[in-house]
Parts: sequence; structure tokens; C-alpha cells
Amino acid sequence: TMLPLLLLLLPAARAIVELPDRPALTQTPPLEGLTTASTFVLDQPRCVFENYSNAVIWLVVALDKATSTFNNTARPGTSETAFQRFPASVSAYMTLNATLANYPCRKPAGDITVLRVGSETSCAQDEARPTCNGPLPGPGPYQVKFLALEGSEPVAETAWSEPITLRTAKSPSTIPTTDSGHSAGMIAITTILSILFAILLAGLVAMLVFWDSDSCGGSSTFSKPESVTVRRYTPHHVYDQPAARL
Amino acid sequence: MAKSDDCIHILQGLLVFGNVVIGMCGIALTAECIYFVSNPHDLYPLLKATENNDIYAAAWIGIFVGLALFALSILGIIGVIKASRTLLLVYIILMLITFAFEMASCITAATHRDSLTPSLFLKQMLERYQKSEPANDSDNEVTKTWDELMLQNHCCGVLGPSDWQEYTSAFHLTHSDADYPWPRQCCVLDAQGLPINLDGCKLGVPGYYNSNGCYDAISGPLNTHAWGVAWFGFAILCWTFCVLLGTMFYWSGIEY
Repeated sequence: TMLPLLLLLLPAARAIVELPDRPALTQTPPLEGLTTASTFVLDQPRCVFENYSNAVIWLVVALDKATSTFNNTARPGTSETAFQRFPASVSAYMTLNATLANYPCRKPAGDITVLRVGSETSCAQDEARPTCNGPLPGPGPYQVKFLALEGSEPVAETAWSEPITLRTAKSPSTIPTTDSGHSAGMIAITTILSILFAILLAGLVAMLVFWDSDSCGGSSTFSKPESVTVRRYTPHHVYDQPAARL
Repeated sequence: MAKSDDCIHILQGLLVFGNVVIGMCGIALTAECIYFVSNPHDLYPLLKATENNDIYAAAWIGIFVGLALFALSILGIIGVIKASRTLLLVYIILMLITFAFEMASCITAATHRDSLTPSLFLKQMLERYQKSEPANDSDNEVTKTWDELMLQNHCCGVLGPSDWQEYTSAFHLTHSDADYPWPRQCCVLDAQGLPINLDGCKLGVPGYYNSNGCYDAISGPLNTHAWGVAWFGFAILCWTFCVLLGTMFYWSGIEY
């Protein structure tokens, strides 16, 4: 009867502490690259694992539907948690290992303390580096948590984060480049110039049609500068008609 | 007849003055259009790539129209002073042809300026910037123009760096999104041309990357170009309209 009692006691002694903190995307300072198509940025877990100075703190990244099936006893650096096999063969991977010394509680003012998940591109295909922090393969959504391991025993964990969805890029062929309409200036120019041109053409036609006749300014025709004036000369008859009948 | 002599002289004086103004405006139009055609802001490759560089065609027409206006204004002055019906008829007909060409230039400049929207440049940038197998020279020119634009104006993309995240692009076919959320030219660079803080740039920390878009730097010179050609041409044509009407009236009053 002692053996079952001992067996009951052992799991209780090894229960891991569930910390209330939850990993979150960085809110200050505002970052343009907070989520991209294959990376996202988390706040570092400062002042979270203060009691675990001997532990190695890992980041667990999982598809959001796999968070309930993740086993805390999974060991990092094995094929069950290898980045290269995510998400085809494994539904979660572990990466970004650090110790408490990397996350001192006092944040120096002015420094940005973030973790960029997905920034290591050189080892993304390298099976020899299963803890690679490689670019995420799809838009997710993903959930993450921090897990502290002493040796290979999990001792503390945070809660799972809210689901994180990455950006999906659209194709540039969806950008509409059809007619954007005409501005008021262009319409004004076109109409006014057309009207002016029509008036001028009408004037030209009127000019040519009334070439020979006097136009509306006929009574004020003016002479050219060097014109020759001809005076009518009435000849004086020497002989009258009746005198010829004599 | 003294009164109508005065009227004649006044009309002649007005027409000569009108033609002098047309001549000077013609020279100014030629000078302005030569300035625009000389591509002072290096934006010509972008317009050529959109296959829509009619703004430049409008400027070229403006050069020749300006010279024609100058020549015709001299003809007009001679015709008015000599009161020659033939000369003035030739003047009127040639002026109408020039009027038609200038009208075409103004309308073209205005219409094609309307078609140069941010979407057009965005699509062109995404499809051609840093294309790995450039189909022809114009792709290389587009890449070079964008690089210079982003470096000189401290801007990124058309509307902002998010252009590179919202849409897939030829650039992201050869540069991974994790290493290059946006091109390196969007980072704040030091004197040697290297980013002052590469991680800050990749994260998008204010101060280490250029957060504003380049559309203002493109549309400013384009607006000056297009509206300079269109509105100045419009003003010249309005003045020319008045001078031509006066000339027609004068012509019909000359003794045959």
C-alpha cells in the first residue's frame, strides 16, 4: 500500500507552476513590423521568471488548434519539437532559449526589449538546428507561451497568448488602375477651349462668306495708307445737239 | 473720317500690342516646355514604364507651338500695319491651326495627369522593382529610379512601407520577408550607405526607417509639369482668342 501512496505523492511534487503572465505582441513603442508575413514581435518576459534562476526559458510556438495537445514534457532540440518539421509533422516547436540573465527585471529606459520570432533565415532548412528561430511558414493563427525547464524538467510556464495572426499579402493585380475620373480643371479646360475654337471657326467662315460685301462695320471702311484717289471729271461739251439740226 | 481714323489707329495699336504679347508668351511657353522635357526630377523612366508619357508629348508640342506663336505674331504685326488682306488671312488661318495644336496639348496634359494615380505607381513598383529577370531595360530603369527616389527623399514605397507587406511583389520573390520586410533603401542610412540600425529598421522602430511614402515626391513635380503646360497654354489661348477676333473684325473692315 505504500507504493501507490508514493506514486500519488510524486506527481504532486513535480507539478509545474502556471504563472499568470501571458505573452503579448509589443505595444510600446509602436512598430511598423509588429507582424509581417512570416515574423512577429513579442515583449520579453521580464520580471516573470524571477524565482527560476537555474532554469532555461524556452518559447513554445504552436498552431492555435494544437495548444491543448502540447505536452510540457516534450524536450527541446528533438525531432518532436523541431522547427523544420513544423507544421507538417509537429504542431508546435520550441525555440529562443535564454536564461534569467537575459531577461533582467529592471528594464533600462530607452532600450527596446523585444523578441522577434522568425528572424533567423539561415537555419530554416538546417535539420541539424531544430531550435532554429526560423520564419513562420504561414499566416497562422499561432499561440505562444514561455516554458522554464530545469535540466529537462518543466518547472514553470506562462499562459498561452492570444491567437496571433500574421499578414497575408494580396497580389498586385488586384490593385485597380482603371479610370479614376476627370478632375474639374481638365473638364474646364476642355469645354472652354472647345467653345473658343468653335467661335473662331465660325468667325473665319463668316469672314470668308462675306468676303466681298461690306461687313457690319461697312460704313466705316478705311482706306489703305497709300491709295490713289480718282476724281470724276465731267467733260465740257463745246457743241450742243440742237445746233447740229440747223 | 477723322473719328474713324482714330478708331482705326486704336484698333491697329491694340492688335499690335496683342501680337507682341502673343510673341512673348510664345517664347515663354517654349522655354517652359524645354525645361519640362529636360526631365529635371528624373521621373521620366517611371512614366515611360507606365506606357503613358503623353505628358511629355504635350510638352514637346508646346515647344513647337511656342515658336510658331512667336513667328506668327511677327507676321500679324506686319499684316496689321500694312493693312494687307492677304497677309492677315494667312495669319488668321495659321493661327487657327496653331490654336488647335495648343488646345490638343493642354487637354492631353490635363487628361494624362489625371490618369497618374497612386495605384498606378504602386502596381508598377510592386511588379517591377528589383525584378529578378528584367524583361527589358525599362525594368532596370524603374529599379534605379525608385532607389534614387527613396534615398534622396527619405521615403519608402508609394504610400508607406506597408505597401511591401500588404501586397506580394517581385522584390519579395528574391528577398525573404523575414530578412527584408521592406527594401534596405527604406532604412535610415549613414554616410557610407549602410543602415544605422538594421534590426531597428527590420522591426520598424520609429527613427530607424522611413515611414512616409514617396507619392508626394512624385506627384509634386508631375503636377507642376502638367498644370504648367495646361494652364499656361490655356491662358495664352484665351488671349489669342481675343486678338484673333479683333483681327477678324479688322480684316473685314479693310477696303477691298
